[in-house]
Amino acid sequence: MTAALFALLFIQAIDSTPPRPAPRSIAVDERLAADAGLELGDRVVVASAPGGAGDTVIVAAITRGRADPSEVARADYRVRMHLDELQRLTGYGDRVDRFAVGTTSASATDSALRAINSAAFGFRAHRSRDIAVETSRTFLVVSRFHRAIGVITIVASAIFLLCIMLLKVDERRRDIAALRLLGISKRSIIRSVMIEATLVAVLGSAMGVALGWLASSIINWHYRGVYRTPLAFAVVTPGIVELAVALSLVLGLGAGLAAGRRLVRQPPLDLLTGRHESRRTARAAA
Amino acid sequence: MLFRLVWASLVRHRARTLLAVLGVAVSAAMLLDMVMLSSGMRASFKNLLLSRGFQIRLSPKGTLPFDTDATIGDAAEISARLRTIPDVITVSPVLGGQVYASAGGRTATAVALGVDPAVEGDYEIVTGRSPSTANEFVASDDFFHATGARLGDSVSVAAGFDPQLRAVTGQRTLTLVGRAHFIYMPAGQNSVALPLPTLQAMRGESAHDRVSLFMVRASSNDRVDKVLADIERTVPRVTAVSIETAMQQVDERLSYFRQLAVILGAVSLGVGFLLVTTLVTVSVNERLGEIIVMRAIGVARERVVLQVLLESSAIMLVGALAGLGLGLVTARYLNSILASFPGLPAAIDFFLFEPRDAWVALGLLAVAGVLAGIYPSWRGASLPIAVTLREEAVA
Repeated sequence: MTAALFALLFIQAIDSTPPRPAPRSIAVDERLAADAGLELGDRVVVASAPGGAGDTVIVAAITRGRADPSEVARADYRVRMHLDELQRLTGYGDRVDRFAVGTTSASATDSALRAINSAAFGFRAHRSRDIAVETSRTFLVVSRFHRAIGVITIVASAIFLLCIMLLKVDERRRDIAALRLLGISKRSIIRSVMIEATLVAVLGSAMGVALGWLASSIINWHYRGVYRTPLAFAVVTPGIVELAVALSLVLGLGAGLAAGRRLVRQPPLDLLTGRHESRRTARAAA
Repeated sequence: MLFRLVWASLVRHRARTLLAVLGVAVSAAMLLDMVMLSSGMRASFKNLLLSRGFQIRLSPKGTLPFDTDATIGDAAEISARLRTIPDVITVSPVLGGQVYASAGGRTATAVALGVDPAVEGDYEIVTGRSPSTANEFVASDDFFHATGARLGDSVSVAAGFDPQLRAVTGQRTLTLVGRAHFIYMPAGQNSVALPLPTLQAMRGESAHDRVSLFMVRASSNDRVDKVLADIERTVPRVTAVSIETAMQQVDERLSYFRQLAVILGAVSLGVGFLLVTTLVTVSVNERLGEIIVMRAIGVARERVVLQVLLESSAIMLVGALAGLGLGLVTARYLNSILASFPGLPAAIDFFLFEPRDAWVALGLLAVAGVLAGIYPSWRGASLPIAVTLREEAVA
């Protein structure tokens, strides 16, 4: 079981002359160490008020923050010190903000929760998982926002893909007209268009996955630098790759089918001579 | 004649043109949303901070207002000192805390603000009135719903809970005299405001003559820097935060959304540009015969260039206009998602529409439309007449 107390402290660097014997030790996070130029063994004064009297302590450890999303936008520095010293320094008395309790198993957790809460000393025990759910609400919101943006992107991609497939098939209208005149069935032509669309979708997906991986690497590199955290901001998971490839294939096949069916509906001679377009252009110009 | 030719060219492939317009509309919608996102939250936050006319906030040294539980001691003396600074018009001390309120058998926890009721710096009265005596308070709609209390009711309010005695501490019976809209509070938050001395007394020794922040109103925006300098000199124990400093902090914390807006906006613009470029290039390639015949009978190159540019611009413009409407709808939906951020003031809008945003999006799309037509128009206008005529005839 560990007890924790949080307080706002002020740190002031001093010269290395030891004012008192055996000062206590503290651990500072690496961002503070880097920004304040602190190194292991340095002596600093910690106080609960700026310029106030404090304690001289030794920097005994430099810690690295965990990949905790709830702290990503906070620029606060973290200092870890002995509980009794922080209580004394802040005048907090024999009080703590919370206890962390370790149990041997899931069933032991349940019984510990019941036992602590039934004792009713005026505080309440919570499962770590429940606290994690509560504190991750911010990220659930961000996740919903990303999903909504993703849907808009998929709609735009679908339209783009359909447009490109229409263009590709339109470009080959003379070839297709010739095939039809040679007696190739409509079904075979549609099938060939769909195979082509599938190939385009597969190749595009492969390039998209590579591009996505590259983009996520750049995003992680950039934001890890900005927020000084080991957190991964963008991750390309097998599930995401499967979804993207499946969507791309479905959209590609749908676009191929729509474009192919539209083309085989035209009489082959009109396709060959472009007569249907000329008629439409003439009507519009008139 | 030129516009008729452009129209004829666009309707020749109706499905293709319609898809291109749709694609541009979605891109334009996304672009507008991202332009709104990049500037909206900043403008919205600034409006929020300035809504009550206070340009400066004073918080405990090294902290931002309400960012920690730290408080400022000797509040009365600091308040008096602040009032002596030239150009300071109003000083509003605020103490934050939590209270437990019981009314009609129902109990609710609420965020409490100890304020100077004469200033009303954190809320505006919707019905009723501001507290005029020490035992009166106002509350938010959510508080009314949570407790079932009505205006004029007496409510038992406590400022703490002693776990050892299993009893509330700092209990008072207060009269609910007003329903208020709390400007800086998140949606769904039970909030109350009561006179500062009352809350200080209820919280006991730990809050005696202490406040969480001071809000300061300067005589004009031009005098803010001077007032800031005077405050730093007069009251060195506090951090004075101007609107500009607060905006910098907000920019830092919400930089992710700004960068996301820039990236997605650029991608949207790029997708729209590519779509129109591809479409118009293919369209020109299909019409090489027509274009070259026009050139052969004396139509000027400039006219060919203009026709192709008009085609690309028309697709972009129609798509953009449709996209602006679509963008406003999607912005409202996206805003409703981000508005559920825990702890965010309900008045903050991430997607704040300003006419300037629409003009920026339209302008960018218009430029993209013209740029999209440059390559195909150059290709159409630079073809050698005789060779192309022969090739087309053979084809």
